[in-house]
Amino acid sequence: MSHALVDAPSTAPDRPTRSPAARALALWQSAGPVAVFVVLLILVAIVQPPFVTGGGLRILAVQATPIMLVALGQAMVLHVGSIDLSNAAIAILSAIVLAKALGPLGAAAPLLCLVLLTAVGAVNGLLVAFAQVPSFALTLGTLGVLQAVSLVVSHASTVYATAHTGVLDFLFEIDVFGLPIAFWVAVLLALALWLLLRRTATGRAMTAVGLNETGARFAGLRTQWLRVLAFALSGAMAAVAGIMIVAQAQSASSSGLGSDLLIPAIAAAIVGGTALTGGVTNPLNVVVGALTVSLVPIGAQTIGVTSQAQSLVYGLVIVVAVALTVPRVRSIVK
Amino acid sequence: MSAATHVVPTASPRRVSPRELGEVGALVLLVVVFTALNPSTFVTLTNIRTVLDQASVPLILGVGATLVILMGSIDLSVEGVMGAAGMTFILLSDNTRKTVDLGAGAIVVALAVGLALGLLSGLLHTRLRVPSFIVTLGVWFVGLGIATLLFGESVIPFLPDGGIKAWPSHHPLGVPNSFLLALVIVVAGLLVARFTTLGRMAYAIGGDEQVARDNGLAVDRYKVLVFVVAGGCGAVAGILATMQLGAGSATVGVGNLFTTIAAVVIGGTSLGGGRGGIHRTVVGVLLLVVLQNGLVLSGVSPNVQSAVSGAVLIVAVAAAAWPLRDRLRIVT
Repeated sequence: MSHALVDAPSTAPDRPTRSPAARALALWQSAGPVAVFVVLLILVAIVQPPFVTGGGLRILAVQATPIMLVALGQAMVLHVGSIDLSNAAIAILSAIVLAKALGPLGAAAPLLCLVLLTAVGAVNGLLVAFAQVPSFALTLGTLGVLQAVSLVVSHASTVYATAHTGVLDFLFEIDVFGLPIAFWVAVLLALALWLLLRRTATGRAMTAVGLNETGARFAGLRTQWLRVLAFALSGAMAAVAGIMIVAQAQSASSSGLGSDLLIPAIAAAIVGGTALTGGVTNPLNVVVGALTVSLVPIGAQTIGVTSQAQSLVYGLVIVVAVALTVPRVRSIVK
Repeated sequence: MSAATHVVPTASPRRVSPRELGEVGALVLLVVVFTALNPSTFVTLTNIRTVLDQASVPLILGVGATLVILMGSIDLSVEGVMGAAGMTFILLSDNTRKTVDLGAGAIVVALAVGLALGLLSGLLHTRLRVPSFIVTLGVWFVGLGIATLLFGESVIPFLPDGGIKAWPSHHPLGVPNSFLLALVIVVAGLLVARFTTLGRMAYAIGGDEQVARDNGLAVDRYKVLVFVVAGGCGAVAGILATMQLGAGSATVGVGNLFTTIAAVVIGGTSLGGGRGGIHRTVVGVLLLVVLQNGLVLSGVSPNVQSAVSGAVLIVAVAAAAWPLRDRLRIVT
């Protein structure tokens, strides 16, 4: 039963008699996102070998970190079959609040951000679960509200962290295995989410909600609270993304670094094999998805695509990457 | 979304439900409140023309977006389609960069660009079986990329004063030409939705795609067609927005995705598909545009305007969902 929940979201958990084709599909589902990333990286490395040897990978990790964090939160919400269009706005608000609070509060400021914006995420979840409002519409609304809050709190300008910026310096200034600590923090959080989904009853219950919510509810699971948890995790991950933005820029603004995370993060989650319909999420593949999505613009620039053509390349690569990795668990594709 | 609650509307659209009266009532209330707050500026001929001119682009986009959402899909590509079509239009028209002047041919080519992008979305969605959400997200960037490539590295092309630049805001029939164009497209959209196979198929696919397939309907073909229509609407909106701006910009459509989808949802078209209609989206667009216009006239800071739109969206969907609340209802 547990295997059926986690590995084979098909209607029949006929594991022993699975056809070779089905087994190949399952293998591709776990390895596909990695393969897409590796192929892209090899393409870039063939055209521009210095990219891999000369610090290109570190730039990639730095760029991918905030996208990865927002994407991990998004993947958790997608996992229960919802979507969170507001979580990138939560990340920017987190960055602005942190830039303001770092001076007066010092090391307590990141904690404040984490608590405050996890609560914002939870409010999204509570509204979806208990007012029974579809998440797409609701979070489109909270996106508008949060953008306005960011503009008002920052007075529509750039907020510079005045003191205690040293508290966050270690995140991007100390490298482990050639990549900054901030990147490894994001990877560890991904690992934690992977453990949550694969090794805990709560995580399994979230999977059940994503695959068959009616069934989950009749099985006695508290599906509404599991949805609230997913949105709260999305808020928490976005709050950490905001912390990374300030650690990188020592400042924050509604239009500055990290203000366009929503689309890349959704793309990262989906290129990482997450199903929009729910129940199929591998946080570790989301890490790879974020690396792929970040590699496309950097790689295009490295191999000499003119800057005018970059969004064209970005759009096409995303569609192809998703076409290769999208889990096809349902016959109807909306 | 449980399929059992989906009913393909067979009743006459003239039968107005109390739900629709809610939005119309909210619109009337807004007009009354803003008239009271700004007695000398809100209900003036100039301001009404401004509101109608501002509403024209989201109305045109709303027609395509509603058809796609009725089908249970989503089209995120509007801003990219607007950019690509708008840039094609201006570079083939009489402009300060002196590229080529095809006259009305420019509009035809720009329309073709929009239809082609819609076709691309539809084919990728149905042939590769990739969710429309992600396909149209990709096509959004493809459209922006086409616009940026066409723009190149040269100076900004401007439309000469007068002529087509002034056409949208001219009002020989009392209301601006831009709004008349939007009205024509809305009426055409209503007729298509009600009386053509394309429109009925959009409702049928959104109501229950499996049932539509099981009945042997050519679901994929009509899905592609609806995306082509949406691409066409995006192209018209891009051409109109470029005329209004008077200059070529790849980002001419920025902000329109949020407004359009919010208007469709506020109007009461279900994101799950099958329920709603273009007439509802018209009310949703007018609500948002009147609200923004009234807030500006009332001196509200532009910083909080997105919060007001967002709050209206939340209240509208919460009010719509409230009577349907049920312990066993699945809402994602």
